[in-house]
Amino acid sequence: MPRNLLTDFELMILLATLRVGDEAYGVQIAREIESTGGRSVLLGAVYAALERLERTDLMVSRLGEPTGERGGRAKRFFRVTPRGLRAVKETQRALMSLWNGIPELKERRT
Amino acid sequence: MTTRHPPRVALWLLNRILPAGDPLTGDLVEEFGRRGSRLWFWRQTAGAVLARRERNRLPVAPLGLTDDPVDGLTTVDRHVRTVNLTASPIYGIGGLGLVALATLVSIMSPASWLVALIIVLTGLVLGGALAYARGRRGASRVPPASPLTRG
Repeated sequence: MPRNLLTDFELMILLATLRVGDEAYGVQIAREIESTGGRSVLLGAVYAALERLERTDLMVSRLGEPTGERGGRAKRFFRVTPRGLRAVKETQRALMSLWNGIPELKERRT
Repeated sequence: MTTRHPPRVALWLLNRILPAGDPLTGDLVEEFGRRGSRLWFWRQTAGAVLARRERNRLPVAPLGLTDDPVDGLTTVDRHVRTVNLTASPIYGIGGLGLVALATLVSIMSPASWLVALIIVLTGLVLGGALAYARGRRGASRVPPASPLTRG
């Protein structure tokens, strides 16, 4: 059985990348986490996690063209691999099974 | 505190710590153009420096979905080192052990301390003489001619 060591931050990055789409790069991923996850993030931490996810084949990246607004620096676009998608699904399944059957977490109907 | 240009010192620092072509600096410059906060840029730079330092460490995985939790824990990088705080020269014997040993020697054979003192003094004298002789030999030695200066 393959082992998927996803931290909560890595999971958020994978989900944010999936939400942004094929042209996802650091700033967009960070903005997505900030707007939907409700937490401020450090871009350095985002890139550290992105590199880790790429090393474990959960993401792939390609270099874009340098742009003027970035001081002539190129963007690096990230994409979630099928293996990364599988890791997200496995994490979701595991979290949902932990969630189920806890009375304190059941929503009360009014 | 807003401005159009990112702090130069922070940019210099980023260029120093990040490898050439790293997209992080470009992302920060781009986002700075939107936010315009020097404080934000400095905070991100400090975060980048820290993240760079921690990059080679594996993360503690709060959502570590592993089939073997014990094996999963072993993948967490451990930076455990043993530090000799007792200043004991003998491996495995700490400060209390040395005190006990010294007490035992004093009781059983006090004359041993005289022998130990003679050994230490002899070592010091020999070491001093050796260092002095090497110093004299080094001062009198003529340096060999450099092949670059050969006519």
